[in-house]
Amino acid sequence: MNERVAVVGYKQTKHTFDSPVARERMIYELVKSLFKDLGITRDDIDTFIFASNDFTDGRTISEVYTVPRIGSFMKDETKVEADGLSAALYAYMRILSGLYETALVIGFSMAGSEFRVPLTQAYSLDPVYERPRGIINYYSTSALQASAYMKKYKFTEEDLARLTVKNLQNANNNPYAARKEPTASVEDVLNSKPLYLPIRQAHVSAYADGACAVILSSKKAAKKFTDKPVWIDGVGHFMDTYYIGDRDLLAMEHLSAAAKKAYKMAGIKNPKKEIDLAELHTNFASEEPVFAEAMGLFKPGSGKDVVKNGESGIDGAMPVNPSGGPIGANPINATGLIRLAEASEQLRKEAGKNKVKGAKTAVVHAQDGPGAQLNTVFVVRR
Amino acid sequence: MTQETRIIENTWDLTAYQWKIESDALDLYVKGLKDKKILGRKCHKCGTVYVPGPTYCRKCFIDIDKVVEVAQEGVLDAFTVNIADVKGNLIEHPYITCTVKLDGTHSFLMGILEGWTDWRSVKEGMRIKVVWKDVTQGALADLSHFQLI
Amino acid sequence: MKRNVAIISVGYNGRFVSKRPDINIPELIQPAVDNAIGKTKLKHDQIDAYVVGNMHTFEGINQPHLWASDHFGGSKKPVMRIATGGSTGASVYQAAYYHVASGLYDVVMAIGWEKHDEGDAQVGLMGILLPEAFSMFNFGPDMSEDRGIAGLGGGGSTGGAAFQAMSYLTKAHAGIEHIDRVAAMMRSNAAKNPYAHLQQPGCTEADIAKTPIISYPLRYGHTCPTSCGAIAMILVSEEKAKKFGITDRVAWVKGLGSGASDATTGNIIEGQITDPAEQYMCKVVSKKVYSMAGIKDPRKDIQVAEVYSGFSHQDLMWPERLGLVDEGKSPQMLDNGSFAIDGELPLNPSGGVTSTNAIGASAMVRVGEAALQVMGLAEGGHQVQRKIENVVAHGWGGLFQFVTVTVLGRTPVKK
Repeated sequence: MNERVAVVGYKQTKHTFDSPVARERMIYELVKSLFKDLGITRDDIDTFIFASNDFTDGRTISEVYTVPRIGSFMKDETKVEADGLSAALYAYMRILSGLYETALVIGFSMAGSEFRVPLTQAYSLDPVYERPRGIINYYSTSALQASAYMKKYKFTEEDLARLTVKNLQNANNNPYAARKEPTASVEDVLNSKPLYLPIRQAHVSAYADGACAVILSSKKAAKKFTDKPVWIDGVGHFMDTYYIGDRDLLAMEHLSAAAKKAYKMAGIKNPKKEIDLAELHTNFASEEPVFAEAMGLFKPGSGKDVVKNGESGIDGAMPVNPSGGPIGANPINATGLIRLAEASEQLRKEAGKNKVKGAKTAVVHAQDGPGAQLNTVFVVRR
Repeated sequence: MTQETRIIENTWDLTAYQWKIESDALDLYVKGLKDKKILGRKCHKCGTVYVPGPTYCRKCFIDIDKVVEVAQEGVLDAFTVNIADVKGNLIEHPYITCTVKLDGTHSFLMGILEGWTDWRSVKEGMRIKVVWKDVTQGALADLSHFQLI
Repeated sequence: MKRNVAIISVGYNGRFVSKRPDINIPELIQPAVDNAIGKTKLKHDQIDAYVVGNMHTFEGINQPHLWASDHFGGSKKPVMRIATGGSTGASVYQAAYYHVASGLYDVVMAIGWEKHDEGDAQVGLMGILLPEAFSMFNFGPDMSEDRGIAGLGGGGSTGGAAFQAMSYLTKAHAGIEHIDRVAAMMRSNAAKNPYAHLQQPGCTEADIAKTPIISYPLRYGHTCPTSCGAIAMILVSEEKAKKFGITDRVAWVKGLGSGASDATTGNIIEGQITDPAEQYMCKVVSKKVYSMAGIKDPRKDIQVAEVYSGFSHQDLMWPERLGLVDEGKSPQMLDNGSFAIDGELPLNPSGGVTSTNAIGASAMVRVGEAALQVMGLAEGGHQVQRKIENVVAHGWGGLFQFVTVTVLGRTPVKK
């Protein structure tokens, strides 16, 4: 068995709302240039793991045509049908087992231009009671959560707008983000189109065309790739119950459990102190305080103060989504993996304008399902 | 357990997608067909010849751009005889669909095989040649069929 | 140092059948889970994590494990979803193996299922090619009546399988009667497996030969049914197996691997360079797996094979590609009775995929059946009576391009 696994390479596309190239070209160019950056060939990779979904690809067995496009022709390949961070988790397990030394993980989608995201999301709802009625969906579930949080903790629409603007500004400084709204103001957010109140159009993440590839390696093999490995020191993933009425949307106990498990593995006792930044997979801006608190990064219900004091800003005590997060780009299936790449970039001190000073430990999160039913958490260290 | 069941009608609506397909390989192939040529791409590193030819090599994982015209003769690789419709009724004129490997290529092309009278005498490895439509217009249909030599 | 992993239980929801209008997907999965747990002394909450999968486009429900999580016990537990086409079940099982082998979890459940009556399998399969086929229309294919999909330059699923079957027959100097014969053997094996779908006791070559030809040399009787069913397996670490006091009736995972080539037979957009009849990856992966399992000569050291054959000719082809039989010698093995349940190399005692095919379950059923054979627990008369040390289970999927292989054995590989 391998004892420690590292992120040794990562790359993401410049995400867009209408990719000029097809998915095949997009992932080929991405993996090719990642290999070039690292000075490796496809033979240096032991196992290839896709994160894609037949519904977001609009194809049965979505990797049929993409297999050779990531260098996995005649190689060991498999597919996780969930967010890319789940695929990274699987790659991590494969390397830990000692049967593999290196793995390439790739997540991608054409969520910006090829399909309407709410439609593919609707396909994952209970087909008997929920899908036909169209009342419960990913938007309304998150709206219920947002409204519960706002009511309980006096988190106002202005607070939510401020938080959205923080992420938009971070996204604006992120060269990979698709959504660029440098002039967006709190008023703009407050006046944006109401969807499922309190959720407005401006709060919705930027569903985009894009991809992200990450290479993981055992400690033994890491030297071949980089002298700046980012270690995966803790992981956790948990699923919540399905029906919204059965869940505590505010407590997010399964997310707490995933985070606690990852912290325990990484030997973190006080996440508020020991973690330097968080990259969260939020489909809506309103999820940020709920998730961050469930993960123990802030005191429960402190969202209002956090926004007021700028604690989650790049220069704050606990920067959340310094990359801008999915508000800047949400290429489904890649989004959680991008969080891992962004966090790695921060820890390697390679982040550009969004650099978090002195960051040594980061927590990374990804979600799947309505109202973040399935959550994955990684703790990474430089 | 009750026998009464409610069936919920729902669909996976494939028309909801607007796919982008990379067509470098087909563009080149169809362009060649207009001039009654079979064009593909060859990897400058490993020599693999693809028809239709993508702009990268699957084996070497590198960009390739060397356009090659390949032979219009080759060997019959595999085939199947369509002697009945899906309900099992014998059809009047059985036809053969096949894959062929044109000389000098490493990939397979599919199409209709003609030039036989009794399908039982058709064997893999037989030589074939490309037969064109009289008038070509730069479409897949320009290549009419493969003919046993 | 490798961590040894064992399969300690295999459960089905019941017999695989064409239609289950009385239940939905979660209700299809739950009995398989209960069955697998019920065969052990474990309780539901002792399962540390779940790995699940099916081919969700077939039923038109995206990631149905979300909806089904309460039914299989996944709520408040770690759950991972894997899907790789026909090989899904085996890929799910392999991921469950790595959950344990990584040291992160000790007791993991793998679940595969399909509820084919809730969708149209042909439409689901067409979904593989649809975008590419649409694209072909822009390039002026010949769609005149007698050409059909051949005008596109593709063969469809049965068409592609028929090419492969013809290639196989030519290379093995065999005839359609061999495919009839192996198909008949699978249906009669299935009659001895209480969970199999198409059970035809005493099915003969002549019975199969009566079925209509779809695409020569493939007949209707050479194809698989579309079934509804679920399978669940429990995998545990060696330490846990010892702790539970169950090291005798378990199947140890001795070797496993997977591989992918390009899409063959249907790759109409870019030239395919892989021969679908050769199945080169199956040879590469099985060699790797045997070496991991410490198997020097698979012909001697493997006693039973469960292979994934969507079409009957593949029941002859896979044993050769897996190195269990010399190239082209399967028809001979079939004729001399070697593949029978009481033969030298029993092939698919369960009846195989041509008797039962709930796609997301099928490749895991191969592994589960292999495990049952090793444990000596196969029910209804399909248990092989010879002494079994090792069994190979094989999975296949994608457009003739994915392969999974695993070897299960009575004793773990020495560390």
